[in-house]
Amino acid sequence: MPEATIIVLNRSGLHARPAASFVRAAAGFGADVRLCNLTRDPGRTASAKSMLAVLGLGVGHGDEIRLEATGADADEAIDTLLALVAGGLGEGTAEVIGE
Amino acid sequence: MRTLRGVAAAPGMASAPPALLEPASGSGAPLLRLDAAVEESCRQLDLLAARLRDRGLPDESEILEAQALMAADPELLEAAGRRIAAGMAADDAILAAGEEAAAVLEELSDELLAARAADVRDVAARIARAVRGEAPPQLSRRSILVARDLTPSTTAELDQSLLAGLALEGGSPTAHAAILARALGIPAVVGVAGLLAAASGAAELMVDGNAGLVMLEPGAEDRQRLAHWETEHEARLDAERALHHRLLATADGHRVMLGANIGSPHDASVALRAGAEGVGLFRTEFVFMGRRRAPDEQTQAAAYAQVLRDFGERPVVIRLMDIGGDKPLPFVVLEPEPNPFLGVRAIRLAEREPELLSTQLRAIVRAAAEAGVPRPLIMAPMVADLADVRRVRALLDEAVAAVGAAVTPQLGIMVEVPSAIVVADQLADEVAFFSVGTNDLTQYLLAADRTNAALAERQDPMHPAVLRSIASLVAAAAPRGVPVAVCGEMGGDPVGAVVLTGLGVSELSMGPASFGAVKRALASVTLAEAQELAKRCLDAPDPATSRAWVSERLAV
Repeated sequence: MPEATIIVLNRSGLHARPAASFVRAAAGFGADVRLCNLTRDPGRTASAKSMLAVLGLGVGHGDEIRLEATGADADEAIDTLLALVAGGLGEGTAEVIGE
Repeated sequence: MRTLRGVAAAPGMASAPPALLEPASGSGAPLLRLDAAVEESCRQLDLLAARLRDRGLPDESEILEAQALMAADPELLEAAGRRIAAGMAADDAILAAGEEAAAVLEELSDELLAARAADVRDVAARIARAVRGEAPPQLSRRSILVARDLTPSTTAELDQSLLAGLALEGGSPTAHAAILARALGIPAVVGVAGLLAAASGAAELMVDGNAGLVMLEPGAEDRQRLAHWETEHEARLDAERALHHRLLATADGHRVMLGANIGSPHDASVALRAGAEGVGLFRTEFVFMGRRRAPDEQTQAAAYAQVLRDFGERPVVIRLMDIGGDKPLPFVVLEPEPNPFLGVRAIRLAEREPELLSTQLRAIVRAAAEAGVPRPLIMAPMVADLADVRRVRALLDEAVAAVGAAVTPQLGIMVEVPSAIVVADQLADEVAFFSVGTNDLTQYLLAADRTNAALAERQDPMHPAVLRSIASLVAAAAPRGVPVAVCGEMGGDPVGAVVLTGLGVSELSMGPASFGAVKRALASVTLAEAQELAKRCLDAPDPATSRAWVSERLAV
C-alpha cells in the first residue's frame, strides 16, 4: 500500500480552504485515500474524501500527516496529493524568508 | 436617541430602518427528499460562490465552495441516513447529523477549525430548509440588518442593493460576515451588547463602521456626520478609481516600474489582477518547504514555468533559494549556528550542497525554455562580493549547458549584505540588475537583529545610513546602465516609495495590497520634489525626522 508523510506548512493548517482543495483532489481518484495526523492523533485515520473528517483531524501548522491509499490509482493519488500539500494547497507558503 | 458601542468591523456609515432576518416560510415549494435537498443546497452554494468570484472575492467564494463540499460530505449524509432509517424525519436527521459533526470540530483546540462548526450548522440548516421547501431569508426593503450573528452564505445571499449596513450583537471583526461586509463595502459594527433588545422597537438605525457605534433613532448631529462622511468617501473613491488603471508615476509623469513580491504560483494571479507590471521578487522557498527530500528539477520547473506563463511578456525576477539555519529543512544538513543570518545560508550553501543550487538553476532554465521566456531574470541573494557573483555565474553557465536550451539568463543580485554596496562599482560590471532587500540591508548595516523585538526601533530603513547606502549604489550603477530596484518593505511604504524614487530607484516591488497607497503617494509629488525630499533625508538626524518631513509633504 503506497503511503507518504509530509509536514503541513500552511499558516493555519488544513482549515477550510486548503482542506477543500485537498478533499476535491482526493475525490478525483478511485483509490480509497486515508489521512492520519501523526503529530496530534497517530492512532486514527480519516477518509481524505470527507471534508468534515479531514477538518476533524485538526491538522495545524507544522503538523505531520500520513497519506495512505489503496486501489488501482493509489500511487498516482499519493503523488498528486503530496505535491498539492507541498505546494501549499493554493495558499502559498507560510513563511516569508529574507529580503 | 441612544448610542450603543460595539467593535468596528467594516468601514463606512449608513442609516436605514432595522430589519431582522426571519426564515421565509410557506413558499409553496414542494417538500424534498434528503438527496434532492442536498443537491439543491450544493447548487445554491456553488451559485453563491460563483457570484462572489465574479465580484472579485475569490477568498470569500472559496468559503462557500468549502461549504458545498460539506453539504455533499459522504460521512454527513451517512449519519443523516442512519437516523432516517431509524424513523427520524429527514430535516431533523440532517440537523442532528450536522450538530454531531459541529460538536467534533468545536472540541478541537484549534480556534480556526472550531469556527468551522458554524459553517457545518449553516449547511445543515440550509439542507433542512430545502427539505421543508422553505426559501432562504431575504430583505424586503433597504435596511440595516440586525442579528445575533450571520453566516457567510446568508450574507452572500442577501440582495446587496437592499443591505445598507450590518449590526451584529455577537461576532468579531475576523468573522466571515465581517470579512464579507468589508469586501462588499457594507459598513458593519459587531459585538454590540444589548443590540437585539434595543433595536426591536426602533424606526431608524445608523451604523458607524469607522467608530464602531450604532445609533438608535439618530439625531440631527448624527445625520450631519453621515452627510460629511458620504462626501469625503465619494472623493476618496474617485481618487482611487482614477489611479487604478494608471501606471506608477510622479505628478509630472516620471515612471517607476511597479512590481509584485510573490511567494507562490497562486500569488501570481492575485498580483496580475492588482495591476503588477511584473514580479520584482519571486521567492522560491515554497518549493522546498514541507518536504522530506529535495524537490527534483521537474517539480521545480513546473512551478516556475506556471508563474512565467502567467506573466507572459512581463518581467519576472526569480530569486534563488534563501535557505539557512533559521529555517532548517530535512534534506539540508546544516551545522547548528549561533548566528544563522550571518551563517552558511543561500548561495553560501553552494559549496557544501552544490547539487541543491545547481538543480534549481537547471529548473529555472528549463522553465524559461518551456514558457518561451528567452531571457529569464535570476536573482542571487546574500551576494557579498565579486567572487560570489562569479561562483553563481559559473554554476549558471553549467546549468544552461546541461539543459541545452536556447536561453540566456540575466543574472542580478539582491543587495542586502553591506559589502556589496561598498564594492558596487565592481559588481555593476558583471550583473544585469540590483535589487535592494531593505529589511536585511537595514539589519546588517545597523547590526540590529530584526527578529529581536527589543531592537524593533532600529529597523527603520529611513535611517540616513540606509538611504546613503542606496544613494551610493545608484551612483555606482547608473553610469553603467544597471537598473536599481527595491523589493523590501520600504518600497511598499508610501513615505519610503517617494524617497526611493527621489534617490533614483527605477522599480519598486511590493505586496499587491500596497499598490494603491504607493500610487497615491507618488502621484502627489513631482520628481523634483521627491529628489529634494530624498536629499534632505540623507542629512536627517534620525529616521523619525525624515518620516515627519515626507509625511508633512504628502499630506498637503
